Amino acid sequence: MTEAAHTGGCQCGAVRFRAERLGRASICHCRMCQKAFGAFFGPLVTAKGLEWTRGAPKTFQSSNKVKRGFCAECGTPLTYDYGGPVEVAIGAFDNPESAAPTVQVNPAEKLSFFERLHALPVRPPDPKSAAFYADIVSYQHPDHDTVDWRGGPR
Amino acid sequence: MTKIFHTGGCQCGAVRYALHAEPTNPHVCHCRMCQKAFGSFFAPLAGVSTKDLKWTRGVPQVFSSSEETERGFCGNCGTPLTFHHVFHHRISVSIGSLDYPERIAPANQYGIEGRMPWFDTLAGLPGKETKLPKGHEAKLVSRQHPDADTIDWHVERSHEGHRQGSSA
Repeated sequence: MTEAAHTGGCQCGAVRFRAERLGRASICHCRMCQKAFGAFFGPLVTAKGLEWTRGAPKTFQSSNKVKRGFCAECGTPLTYDYGGPVEVAIGAFDNPESAAPTVQVNPAEKLSFFERLHALPVRPPDPKSAAFYADIVSYQHPDHDTVDWRGGPR
Repeated sequence: MTKIFHTGGCQCGAVRYALHAEPTNPHVCHCRMCQKAFGSFFAPLAGVSTKDLKWTRGVPQVFSSSEETERGFCGNCGTPLTFHHVFHHRISVSIGSLDYPERIAPANQYGIEGRMPWFDTLAGLPGKETKLPKGHEAKLVSRQHPDADTIDWHVERSHEGHRQGSSA
């Protein structure tokens, strides 16, 4: 167990993990990653020496070759397992910045608006939403390991 | 039943929905809660009035990510599906769960304080197609629900537990 291990987990904290080292970080534009993540691409990094330190993902066999893991309590997409080293959803890491992608996989299936996302206008929340967020009580697990974690109501 | 503008659902097909209005305010949200809920760099969302979203097969499981926020996902395959402030008459769907996500281009970015510092470099990264070994292409059998409603669909059931990661 190294001090510099990469930790992470799902939104509710029922599943937590630790990886010794990170390999290739990528975004995959294929339609299966889009749908599994409910998003425009799957952001995945190879996690070497991966251990589940609290709970374990539930797995869905998305094809005959691949299992995808997610938290059964809150749904956070967590893993892509094709039989080789497991890849982990980058946003699930406590410090996702440390896994900057270096490659786009399956760019042929890229959504047409993807390349313009970073240039979209930036909007602050409207006043009603700002008031909503001002006193919000989050039930998200903090971005570090915890000894005890009760979270919010299930 | 009123006109269906869009359909969508989760990866395994246990949950399907129809939108009876054109969704508004399509956006990406970079806040840390959306990142974690989607296991990603941002959540892509677009919303309709709650009365205009109808579940046509199954219903999502819901996690209250805060006191007043509900996030819906498929309990069988995990696909993030919805975002809902409990006191608002509006619900957003994840754009990637729509059958035709390219029809809903995001117009704004929110939660910019959480944006990954390298977000603007993603589009410039080199690309690589996934190539299955020769002769193996036909052997990939997807269990993903097609991008259209189905009358009959065999949902592949998920399993508890996960193998430990390989250190290879």
